Amino acid sequence: MNEHRKATALALPKLCGADIELGNFIAGENRAGGTGYEASRALLAEIDGLPNRPGGYLNNWWVPAAAPRSGADKSTGTCATVNGWGYNPQDTARRFLPGNGGCAYIDLDHAELCIPEVLSAFDHVAAWHAMLRIMRTALDCANEHRPRDRKFAVLVNNTDGHGNSYGSHLNFLITRRTWDNIFYRKPHYLQALASFQASSILLTGAGKVGVDNRRPYTPYQISQRADFFETLQGIQTTFNRPIVNARDETLCGYGALNDPSGPARLHVIFFDSALAHGSALFRVGTMQLFLTLMERGLVNSRLILDDPLSALHGYSRDPSLKAQAELISGERLTALEMQSEFLEDVKHYAAQGVFDAVVPRSAEIISLWEDTLIRFANNDWTAVARRGVDWVLKLMAIERAMDQRSELDWDSPEVKVIDQLYSSLDEDGLYWAYEAGGFAEKLVTPEHIAHFAANPPVDTRAWTRAMLLRRASSGNVEVDTVDWDRITFKIRGRHSWPSYRTLDMADPLGFTQAEAQPIFDNCLDFGDLLDGLESLSAGNARSLDAIAIN
Amino acid sequence: MRFLQRHNDQPLNDGSGNDDSGSSDLLQQARAQGDRMLAAGDEAIQRALAGSNSEAFLRASRQQGGE
Repeated sequence: MNEHRKATALALPKLCGADIELGNFIAGENRAGGTGYEASRALLAEIDGLPNRPGGYLNNWWVPAAAPRSGADKSTGTCATVNGWGYNPQDTARRFLPGNGGCAYIDLDHAELCIPEVLSAFDHVAAWHAMLRIMRTALDCANEHRPRDRKFAVLVNNTDGHGNSYGSHLNFLITRRTWDNIFYRKPHYLQALASFQASSILLTGAGKVGVDNRRPYTPYQISQRADFFETLQGIQTTFNRPIVNARDETLCGYGALNDPSGPARLHVIFFDSALAHGSALFRVGTMQLFLTLMERGLVNSRLILDDPLSALHGYSRDPSLKAQAELISGERLTALEMQSEFLEDVKHYAAQGVFDAVVPRSAEIISLWEDTLIRFANNDWTAVARRGVDWVLKLMAIERAMDQRSELDWDSPEVKVIDQLYSSLDEDGLYWAYEAGGFAEKLVTPEHIAHFAANPPVDTRAWTRAMLLRRASSGNVEVDTVDWDRITFKIRGRHSWPSYRTLDMADPLGFTQAEAQPIFDNCLDFGDLLDGLESLSAGNARSLDAIAIN
Repeated sequence: MRFLQRHNDQPLNDGSGNDDSGSSDLLQQARAQGDRMLAAGDEAIQRALAGSNSEAFLRASRQQGGE
């Protein structure tokens, strides 16, 4: 395929979602099984959302729970949504937020936050911090009347240091063709994606003291998750974790799963939870750019690691960044060299307009990416930390503490506590101290974050979801079930049984404010509103070629 | 064992290839400012560790595995 043909291949705007678990427990309470059950439920009880089922969160058997979609692996549960009744320990009491269209629920005793679908990586950072702000309010409320030595604690991390890991998942809209290329047709695409991710921990790692999962000892790692990845690809998420996850749930309507020309969702379980804006931006922004190249057929076959899994472990265990990994060519590159090469590819194609209308604010992402790699190349760690790369900022904090307290070493429990408290959501969180002190650079404004705490993105279907949840909260309409791609309403008639209506919102790029606002403005009656939105839905049932950017 | 070399031993390089002493001074000033702002973290660490039982905290923070 010549370069022109490659560059005009189908590409979809790189819409992104996220479902992120939190560490939660009662500080000072030492129980054999932990206190996550009690903590997660107390936190979720403080977050209002729909469907509204009073008391339901206490009884898993009678709350709406996710049902695996066609093709999903029932043995691993699902990260899908509220569309059935039953028991699923990985999806308890999910509630969607009328404020911003995101949701919260409990996954295996972890409070979990899902941001609404966004198009821009900058919006991702703002929406993620907005969800953290919502959880912080819930934490304050849950702790209001608790004894001082038995407060709930929330950690924005991915491992407890006791051998347990929990996820920080991203979801990217890609074409079905790209999905098939990665998992069924072109093995080098899978290897290239894993290679990109393995080297990207340089920018996205959250940092971690020590090891888990019976790995050989090392004092500090770049990635919290690296120890837990044991295979290249797979559908499972809770054991034998894969770098590239093959869970195939489109969340774009039931029909999309079997439509060879339809959209797909890449479920990315690889990344750490980010607090610093830089790491949060890079894990989405650079993936948007890389996936766009992949979608265009612009995979650089030189930048493929011979063994991405061992490369990941090697890179993670060497914060000095000297670790090299072997490419299939036999060449050996550090993570910094790998990322620099990927960046050069991206810059080359950016100049050709490959990312236009596919990755919002791509030029800013590329500029920040390049500037940060230069800071790494210059060994200017302070500048890297200020950019907001979590693992560097955390390491700097720990080493300063060790400088100031000579009794501390890497095996001291106090050092592990600093590791954990870096990610504390409460006022004792170290990250927040650095942010408040002006050390950690903010890539989005407080106003941007505040906006997403109460408002949905205007350029995805999240806007209509939020507005419908608000409208349905009054009058004779109840929200019966909610899913990312549909909502069912229970409408009470004057003298009859209630009727149910379901609105399908299969197109995540549709139902934007620009499309739906006129319908909301013109329809006071809820039935009329759904009629109008259904016509929009029919209009959105367009071919993939029509919504792809070429 | 220290991984990071704060206030680098290596010469500063802004990526342009220029060895401009004015630029270097600015970077040194920026680092000094950064160092002062890091002190906010020092205080937070001292507060966190003061009087707390680190081992008890770590035991209590045990989680269930998830995804």
